[in-house]
Amino acid sequence: MEETLREVRFFEFLTEEEREEFAQVSEPVSFGPGENIIEEGVDQGSLFVLVSGTVEVRKGLSGERSRLLAEIDSSRGRTVVGERGLLGESGASATVRTVGEVEAIRIPRDTFRSMVAEGRPAAFKLSYRIARTLARRLTRLDEEVVEAIRELEHRGETDMEAFRDRLITDWSV
Amino acid sequence: MPPTPDLSDVPIFGHLDDDERAEFEELSEPVSFEAGQKILEEGAPESRLFVLTSGTVEVYKSVLPGRRQRLATIEAPTVIGEMGLLTEPRAAASVEAITRVEAHGLGRDRLLEMLDANSPAACKLVYEIGRTLAERMAATNETVAEVISRLENTNARGSEDIDVFRDQLVQDWSF
Repeated sequence: MEETLREVRFFEFLTEEEREEFAQVSEPVSFGPGENIIEEGVDQGSLFVLVSGTVEVRKGLSGERSRLLAEIDSSRGRTVVGERGLLGESGASATVRTVGEVEAIRIPRDTFRSMVAEGRPAAFKLSYRIARTLARRLTRLDEEVVEAIRELEHRGETDMEAFRDRLITDWSV
Repeated sequence: MPPTPDLSDVPIFGHLDDDERAEFEELSEPVSFEAGQKILEEGAPESRLFVLTSGTVEVYKSVLPGRRQRLATIEAPTVIGEMGLLTEPRAAASVEAITRVEAHGLGRDRLLEMLDANSPAACKLVYEIGRTLAERMAATNETVAEVISRLENTNARGSEDIDVFRDQLVQDWSF
């Protein structure tokens, strides 16, 4: 499992020993096609490393409709979903659903918090990494919104579709 | 006479033990601001994080040139400038004292050195900041979703709604 985590960019800042610590507390999980790994509105409280397969990230709209925010193909690089759930307790803001068979590794929040309580540097480094990711996303969203407001004020050629797409990019589940 | 440091009243320091808080108290520099004085200036370098122990501040941003958009009024105990620890050290908004404010300034560079050295006190502080950001992200996601649906309705109805859309965006976005 340590081998698997090494190939994940999200974990590359950890030392080999620290990745091993996470490998020891991680659980391998398998999902069939069409299963929800993370469900919108539900506090799932785990980080998932997608090892194989493809998932869709969808946000529910009014009625039965939903919007596709992203499609993540883990063969293009192992990706992490649900990292916010390790720090926060609010329900997920989108659903992550498998397209086909998906293999993943799960790091549960309770385990992560035990590591924090024990003062383990690996857990703090991961929190620092997640906090930085969140801070950058928040800052970027703020900048996008300010820019859009200024363009709208000047009646410039605001491409609303492009604005919408920029808001959606890199959605933090 | 400088104020007595009391970080235990400040939520994100509440999870630290006495020794860890003492470490920050030793590092921090007491500072006070008079009503009307700027503590952080939008766009200016953010070299310190301020722990406010008393007083009230107003947070604002110049979203549109010449107009001051008030974002929040915050009472101590609280922390400002913490984003500078995690992103570019440049203030995203201005913060002004609206009463006399007593605070402790913590140097960003020193905090980053502590993080590099895996200082438990600094690590715990960032963990707590991260938890507040995770909740803020959750709220922002919901606002983004609302903005997107409104945007689509606006597009469908035509350009006369653009002004309404823009005003609501200014109003609803928490920056």
